[in-house]
Amino acid sequence: MIRYVLRRLLLAVPTLFGIVVLVFLLLHLAPGSPVSAMGGESGRRVSGRAAEEMRRVYGLDRPLPERFARWLGRVARLDFGESFVDRRLVTERIREALPYTLVLNGLALLLTIAIAIPLGVAAGGKPEGPFDRASGAVLFALYSMPAFWTALLLQTLFAVELSWLPLYGVSSDEPPSGLAGFFDRLAHLALPVACLTYGSLAFVARLVRSGVAEARATDYVLAARARGASYRSALWRHAFPNALLPLITLLGLILPALLSGSVIIERIFAWPGLGRLYFDSILSRDYPVVLALSLLGAVATLAAALAADIAIAAADPRVRDGAFAAP
Amino acid sequence: MIAGTPLWRRLPGSGRLAVFLVGFLWLVAALSPFLAERAREIRLDERLRPPSRAHFFGTDDLGRDLFARVVVATPLSLAIGLTAAAVSLVVGFALGGLAGYLGGATDLLLSRLFEVVLCFPVLFLLLALAAFLPPSPAAVILAIGLTAWPGDARFARAEILKAKDLDYARAARAAGATTSRVLVRHLLPNALPPLLVSAAFGVAWAILAEAALSFLGVGLPPTSTSWGGILSVAPSYIEDSWWLALFPGLALFVTVCAYNLLAEGLRTATTGRN
Repeated sequence: MIRYVLRRLLLAVPTLFGIVVLVFLLLHLAPGSPVSAMGGESGRRVSGRAAEEMRRVYGLDRPLPERFARWLGRVARLDFGESFVDRRLVTERIREALPYTLVLNGLALLLTIAIAIPLGVAAGGKPEGPFDRASGAVLFALYSMPAFWTALLLQTLFAVELSWLPLYGVSSDEPPSGLAGFFDRLAHLALPVACLTYGSLAFVARLVRSGVAEARATDYVLAARARGASYRSALWRHAFPNALLPLITLLGLILPALLSGSVIIERIFAWPGLGRLYFDSILSRDYPVVLALSLLGAVATLAAALAADIAIAAADPRVRDGAFAAP
Repeated sequence: MIAGTPLWRRLPGSGRLAVFLVGFLWLVAALSPFLAERAREIRLDERLRPPSRAHFFGTDDLGRDLFARVVVATPLSLAIGLTAAAVSLVVGFALGGLAGYLGGATDLLLSRLFEVVLCFPVLFLLLALAAFLPPSPAAVILAIGLTAWPGDARFARAEILKAKDLDYARAARAAGATTSRVLVRHLLPNALPPLLVSAAFGVAWAILAEAALSFLGVGLPPTSTSWGGILSVAPSYIEDSWWLALFPGLALFVTVCAYNLLAEGLRTATTGRN
């Protein structure tokens, strides 16, 4: 087990380095410098000398390898410099936005799992049965629905027509205190969380369904039934674990999908999280923030995939003994 | 795969429906120039009218007929989806095929590259590419293709890995065929059915991606009519003009559904699995 973990960690090192290089190249070779963006945003033209000065201050006049080496050294200390937009520390801006995104995506993930697993087990228990067909069609439709469209429709229905839920924002302008304040925030969470949940719901449910459907015909599930296990217990205790391994892998990979979804959903619902910060930073060419967020997003993904691999090895001796080749 | 049966016979019912849907969408695209005039006509006295007999889908913030605009946007969405998926498939097959075929250090290096790109949240990459390229259809196609290829590459790598030591590939090599010839003339045709499935999913994804970019305002320039672009004005009028959000999104939804259904149908037809 330890050998397996070490091997996986070692394999992740070049990937990590690749991520750092790619992030750096992507933004520094991109046309449109932050200096021109600063002039362009406000409609002012930055004169030659002022532009020179800005380039010097931000180190944009240095050759590419030198900038990379300096950046690498700072990244290792988690020092991402100051934002071009408001001169505040990048880490500070990220720390402010992070809790909002964590709450949004954490709730969405929990909800996804809580709905998708029972749904998938029920559908996979009787493949091609009426429930399986119906849920399959609904999940397919959900999977094909663009999140920004769904968000607009939900806003129209629940915020405009029915006035049940707020249109956007984190809380009311003057949030009530105590328990009422909690419910106020919960109401503001409802629509964005729903929008983030339904897409991944389809993925997870279909995966669980196929795992359970495959296992229900096997000898070991049949044997469990023959020994007197109830239909429920045969399904949950014996067939469902078959879907567990791919499920762990999928959950390890769901992080980047959630972050992607966050960009659109946070914009529509005026949610001050990481997705919104990333989008605003892209528009204002705020290099330090874009670099830091891309890097953190990719590293978090790598870490999640690694954790999933290790969790699978812990759960399945065939993986850690190398009977299955590591991907 | 049941050899000899034509593809159409092997498609499940939903897949056949998808073929009709996709055909219908392309027909709409082909006929759309007839509505071009109407889609451009700005009438400020007709702003934000709800759906009526004169305007099936209502009118937009400039009084243009929304039905005509949704129809006129069709060819652009379909074409961008198709070309962007093609870019992704070509890049993905070239790199993934090489990795699978050559193996060894090349495979190790290229596989790490796929892994690196796959680590980034897709929309992060897409936004960075789209926002830093000048707004044009070509830039959007490039941005989407260059974001989506690692998935295709991994897929192609696995397919080539399976096929490269089969007798026909060895025979081609023994006869003196070059690497690129074996890959393109012998291995590619064999890997085509699964790649076709991947491509159909890719088209659906690319159409969604283009719409998302245009919705966020970093996709196509405002001068071109696209579903995402029409949707991008909807939030400003959400309080009273629901049709602005409903209809362009519906067109997008139907299109994405059609291509996803087609992909699933093709998968069932070529592998016999659901």
